[in-house]
Amino acid sequence: MLKSVIPRIKDWPINLIAQKREKILQECISEAVLEFNKSNPTLSQLRNQLQKTLYLENIRIKNESWEVDPEDEREFWGKIKKRLLQADPNLVDEDVSKEQHQEMLQDIMSRYANEIIGHFNPNIFWFARQLLVRFFARLFNSHFGGIRGMLHPQEKLKDKLIVAGPVEKLRNLSLKGTVILVPTHFSNLDSAIIGFGMDYIGMPAFQYGAGLNLFNSKFFSFFMGNLGAYKLDRRKKNPIYLETLKSYSKTNVLAGAHTIFFPGGTRSRAGNIETELKLGLLGTVMEAQRIHFEKNPANLAPKIFIVPLTLSYNFVLEASSLIEDQLKRSGKEQYLVKEIPTATGKGIWKFFWETFSKSTDITLSLSEPMDVFGNALDDDGNSIDKFGKKIEIKNYFVSKGQLKADDQREMIYTQMLGDKIIEGFFKNNVVYSSHVVTFVAFELINKQLDFPDLFTLMRSSEEDREINFDTFKTAVKRVIDELYMLNNKGQIKLSPFISSKELDEIIELGITNVCIYHTNLPIMRLKNGNISSEDLKLLYYYHNRLLGYGLQKYI
Amino acid sequence: MGFKNISDKNPVAVIGAGSFGTAVANLLAENGEVLFYSRRPEAVEIINTERVNNGQSIHPNIRATCDMQELTDKCYLIFPSVSSDGFRQVMQNMAPYLRPDHMMIHCTKGFDIKLEKDKTILDKDVLLKPADIYTMSKVILEETCVKRVGCMSGPNLAREIANLQPAATVIASKFDEVIREGENAIRSKRLQVYSNHDIYSVELAGVMKNSMALAAGALGGLGYGQNAMAFLITRGLGEIIRLTSAMGANKQAFLGLAGIGDLVATCTSPMSRNYTVGARLAKGETLEQIIATSSEVAEGIKTVSISKKLADSTGIKVPIIQTIYKVLFEELNVEEALGFLMEYRWGFDADYM
Repeated sequence: MLKSVIPRIKDWPINLIAQKREKILQECISEAVLEFNKSNPTLSQLRNQLQKTLYLENIRIKNESWEVDPEDEREFWGKIKKRLLQADPNLVDEDVSKEQHQEMLQDIMSRYANEIIGHFNPNIFWFARQLLVRFFARLFNSHFGGIRGMLHPQEKLKDKLIVAGPVEKLRNLSLKGTVILVPTHFSNLDSAIIGFGMDYIGMPAFQYGAGLNLFNSKFFSFFMGNLGAYKLDRRKKNPIYLETLKSYSKTNVLAGAHTIFFPGGTRSRAGNIETELKLGLLGTVMEAQRIHFEKNPANLAPKIFIVPLTLSYNFVLEASSLIEDQLKRSGKEQYLVKEIPTATGKGIWKFFWETFSKSTDITLSLSEPMDVFGNALDDDGNSIDKFGKKIEIKNYFVSKGQLKADDQREMIYTQMLGDKIIEGFFKNNVVYSSHVVTFVAFELINKQLDFPDLFTLMRSSEEDREINFDTFKTAVKRVIDELYMLNNKGQIKLSPFISSKELDEIIELGITNVCIYHTNLPIMRLKNGNISSEDLKLLYYYHNRLLGYGLQKYI
Repeated sequence: MGFKNISDKNPVAVIGAGSFGTAVANLLAENGEVLFYSRRPEAVEIINTERVNNGQSIHPNIRATCDMQELTDKCYLIFPSVSSDGFRQVMQNMAPYLRPDHMMIHCTKGFDIKLEKDKTILDKDVLLKPADIYTMSKVILEETCVKRVGCMSGPNLAREIANLQPAATVIASKFDEVIREGENAIRSKRLQVYSNHDIYSVELAGVMKNSMALAAGALGGLGYGQNAMAFLITRGLGEIIRLTSAMGANKQAFLGLAGIGDLVATCTSPMSRNYTVGARLAKGETLEQIIATSSEVAEGIKTVSISKKLADSTGIKVPIIQTIYKVLFEELNVEEALGFLMEYRWGFDADYM
C-alpha cells in the first residue's frame, strides 16, 4: 500500500467540499436555474418544460416506484400541478406568472439537488477501509492459512488488485489539480474496486455517481452515501433533472473534487470496451475548465486532468444478466428471454471469494493523464505537444485574442476528448489468458456453425459446438502472436502471465479462470480434449472483450 | 515593404507557394491582407519584387515571407496548401510556432500513410488498413497543438481560379467557428462558399477522385467521348463511395461539390496533372517514362495504390481502381484495360446508395 499523498483524511478535497455542503447546494441550484433559463428563455418554453416534467414524474411515480423514493413524492408533484394551474399566464398577470414559474423551477431543482448530493464522512471512510482490509485478510487467511495472511493482507492484495500505469504521475497530479478518472464500466462493483484501488495507491477519495437503485439497500446506502457517492436516477430523464445533475457535477469539479465519471453511461451490456461515450457530463468538465480560466489568471487557473482507466476482470459478476439484456435489446422478438438472474449478496460474496482466493486477479490499468483537450502532460501537469513544447491551453477557449464561451466549439472539444479516452481504453486494455481463449473459442464455434445470425447460433445444440483442440490451439497461437505485435506497437497490453508462460499453460489457466465463477461453463475441455461451451451467451460476452483490434482475421 | 492598410483585421496566412496556394492567396487577398509563406528566401524575394508566382500575378495585399515566427504571431487563420508528401514534415516544422488559438484550413487533396521503415506502398506484402491512412486534418491534429481544423475542397482548378473565373468551394470543419472564419476570409464575388461539418468525408472525397482523373485522362487519350466519360464518372463515384464507406465516411458529402462536383471538374479537365498522366499512358508511354519527364508527381498515382491496397484488405470490389492499378504498375495496356472493364459484369446501377 502506498502512502497517502495527503496524510490526513480530513484534509482531502472530498472532505473539504463536504464541509461546504450548503454552499455547494446553493451554487448548484442557482447555476442550474441560470443555465435552464438560458436554453428556455420564454415563459411559454419554461411552462412547457415544467408541464413535461410533471407529466414524466407522474408516470415514473405510478409505474416505477422504489423503496428509496421519498414518501412525499405524490404530494410534492400534486402541489406543483396546482401551482401550474394557478400560474396560468391566461389567468394572472404575466410578471406574476413569470415569478411563479421561476419559483417552481427553483423548488424542483432544489429538491433534485438535495437528492443528488453526496456526503463524505472521514470516520466512516476510515472504518470502511479497516473493514475491507479485514475482509480481504479473512479471505486470504482461509486460503493460505497461517497468521501471516491475517497480519499482512496487503502483501497478497498487491498480486490480486493490480494498479498498472503511471501511478506516481497520477499521485503527483492529484496535488496539482482536479483529477477526473474515466473508467470502462463492466460491473456494479467497479466503483468499489476502483475506490479501493485508488486508496491502495494513496490517492485521496474520489466522488462518483452511483445509481439511485443501489441506495434501495440500507447497508449500501449507508456506506456509499458517506463515502462520496452522489445519486444518479436513471428513471428521471426530464430536462430539469438532467440540468440539475449537470450543474451538480460542474459545481463539484469547479470546487476541486476528484471525480470518477463512467463515460459509457451504463455498464457495457455486451462485454466489449466502450466505443461510444455519453458526453454530457464530460461536457461539464470542459465548461469547468473554461470557467477556471475566466475567473483566474492563466498561470493560477486550476487545471483539470483526465485519466482513462481500463478494468480487466477474468470474470464479471453480472455477466449473465448483462448479456441477456444485450441480446434482448438487439434481438427483439428473435430472441426469447428466459428469466434474468440478478446479482445478489451471495453473488457478490462469491465474486470476491473466487477472485481473491483463487489464482485470478483484477487489473486497473491507467492511461497517461491528459488535459481536457487530450494533450499530454509533463510531471508538473503542464500540457505539452508531441515535441515536448508547453501548450497554453487557455488559448483553446480564445478566439482572435478574446476568451469566450462557445458551446459548439466546446462540444467538439468534448467529442475529441471522448475519442482520446476511447483510444486510452483500448491501448491500455490488459489482456488476460481468459480473454484470449474465450475470443478464439467463440470465433471458431461461430465459423464452424456458420449460422446466419447470432440468435440462431445461441440456440445451437451443445454437441455442434465441439471444436478440435489442435485447431483451437493453432488459432490461439496466431491470436497471441498478433497480440504481441499490437503490444509492441503500444496498441494493447498483455498480462505478465501471457508474456511469460507456454501456450498450453495459457490455455489451461484461461479456461479455468473464466469458469471459476460460472455454474454453466462458457468454455470447457471435453473428455476427448476438445473445446466446447455450455453457455454460448456467456462465451460471447467474454469474447467481446477483444473486439475492436481486428483479431478476427487471425482465426 | 508595408501593407496597404485596408483594415485592422489580422492577416490570413497561406503556407506553400505552389499553383493552388497562389490561387488561394489571391482569393484571400480580395478580402484583406495575406502573409504568404515559402521556405525559400529567393522565392519570397521574387514574389515580393516581381509580383508573379507560378505564372499567376500576385495581388497587392499579399506579402511573401519565410519568417514562420512572424507569420504565426500575426495570423490566427492559416491555409496550408502543400503536397501530401511534404505535409507532415511542414506541420512538424510549424509545430513549435503554433498556438491553441490558431485555426487551420488545409487545401491538400491527398493522403499520408504510415509504413514500416524501408517499405513503400507498392511492396506486395504491405497491407493497408483504414487506420493507417491519414487525411491531412488528422496529420495536423497529430503533429501540432492546433485543434480547430478545417479543409477547403471542391471543383477548384487552380488555373481557372487564376483566370478569375467563377467557382464554388466547400469549407468543412467540425467547428462552426472555423467554417465562419474561413468563409469570411475567402468568400468573394468569384467564389461561392458552402459548408459541411463532415470534414473527414469531404477530405476523402477530395482525394479519392484523383484515381478517376487518371482514368479519365486515359479515356481522353484514346480519343473517346462523353458516353465513356459519364460511364467512368458515375461508376467511379460508386467505387469511391463503397471504399470510403469502409473507412467510416458518410455518403452525403459525395453528392455535393466536394464529391461529384470535384469529380466532374477533374475528369473533364485535360489540364490537370492526373488527367495528363492518364492521357500519356493511353498514348503508350510507361509510368517510368512519365515520372522521369514530369516536374511534379501527380497525386493520383499515390491515391490509386492506396485505394487498391485498401480494397484488398477490406475485400471491397473496385474494378476501375484495380484496372488503373494494373495499367500503372503491372504493364496492362490501356486498350486491354478498357476491354476488361467493358466485359466486367456490373449488375445493378446505383447500387452504392
